[in-house]
Amino acid sequence: MNYEGSKLQNLLAGEYVLGVLRGPARRRFERLMMESRSLAAEVAKWEGHFASLALRLKPVEPPDYLWWRVMARVRAESRPRGERMRNTFWRTWAVAATVVLALVIVTQRVAPPPEAKPAQFALMSDTKGMPLWLISVHPEAQRVDMKALASNAPPAGKSYELWMIPDGGKPVPMGLMNETGLASETVPPELLARLSHAKALAISLEPQGGSPTGQPTGPVLWVAPLVAS
Amino acid sequence: MSASPADLQDRNRHLTDLLHACAQGRQAAFQELYKAVSPQLFAVLLRILRRKDLAEEALQDALLSVWRNAGSYAADKGAPMTWMVSICRYRALDMLRRERREVSLDTDRDGEADEGEGLSDMGEGAAEASLISKAEERALDECMQRLNDGQRSSLRLAYVDGCTHEEIAAKVGSPVGTVKSWVRRGLESLKRCLEAA
Repeated sequence: MNYEGSKLQNLLAGEYVLGVLRGPARRRFERLMMESRSLAAEVAKWEGHFASLALRLKPVEPPDYLWWRVMARVRAESRPRGERMRNTFWRTWAVAATVVLALVIVTQRVAPPPEAKPAQFALMSDTKGMPLWLISVHPEAQRVDMKALASNAPPAGKSYELWMIPDGGKPVPMGLMNETGLASETVPPELLARLSHAKALAISLEPQGGSPTGQPTGPVLWVAPLVAS
Repeated sequence: MSASPADLQDRNRHLTDLLHACAQGRQAAFQELYKAVSPQLFAVLLRILRRKDLAEEALQDALLSVWRNAGSYAADKGAPMTWMVSICRYRALDMLRRERREVSLDTDRDGEADEGEGLSDMGEGAAEASLISKAEERALDECMQRLNDGQRSSLRLAYVDGCTHEEIAAKVGSPVGTVKSWVRRGLESLKRCLEAA
């Protein structure tokens, strides 16, 4: 490569890193970078030179719910590819089935006393889209029900713990899940009020008896939006 | 508040270990990585995108991309943090391009778009800049100081704020052609200076 060529190459790499190389030129450059090691190296060099300008910005803590959203996507990604493909079918099916099932379960258990129906619920499914946990919020009864829809025992010495993901702020512990059947937690009005604004619920794997710190310490296994019924 | 070279090396080694573990699908490592890097990356994205919702979306996408591509990280891509900052910046620039197309060139991104709490105090200087060595930082500072004002602010506005030539021109009140040549000359002088350092 002649001097002019490499000079131009360096300039374009700099403009690419700055971001002022735009439009079709930017895409052409990206294409060239795929086959030219030296071009990619120029880009990496500029990225390194300028990085201190970015790292000097004062860090800003992202909102807590972002972590849960990222994690939900990571979990979805982590499934084997074939399983994900099959999932498309299952998910479509499961979404429809879920709503029906949720309503059935919820109305069923509410049947005897004409107790209010749940205000919100969240359904967590396994990687095949089969429902595992149904969590329902009953504000009048000041109660949150956590129902295991399938047998799903945690590893020995561990517990599943439920968390509310508030709209801003840290996760709030909501109680431990029973491996089978139903667990109910009495919830004070303040917490119910926060629940009504919460975006999602999550279940993490914790030491037996629950998180020792009041915050999730183990991996987050399931996340589901909390929807109004 | 830059760290000593030893600290920096430890930090980089730690981040590299985490990336390596992510490449093996270890979600706990990803969680640790998230804690370690997301505030700095979020600051970078807020500065470019100027809207909290967009910055959140970009951070989500960028981190997912870090998770997916952790295995392709290698030393020739720069320090781990440099690599992650680049992923974020390019994602943000893509989003800006999309937004511009949708909002038909909103001429002053400074004005009304400047919403979201905490966006105003994104001053520079307070960062825990332990992610880059003092020597590198000083070299860039010194070489930036040697540029003329137009060149210096053009490079900063492009890199830190994600501005186009046109946006820089509007901000500094100079013709677009002048800004383009400031950027080029600035890059050329910077390269000469950094290589001599």
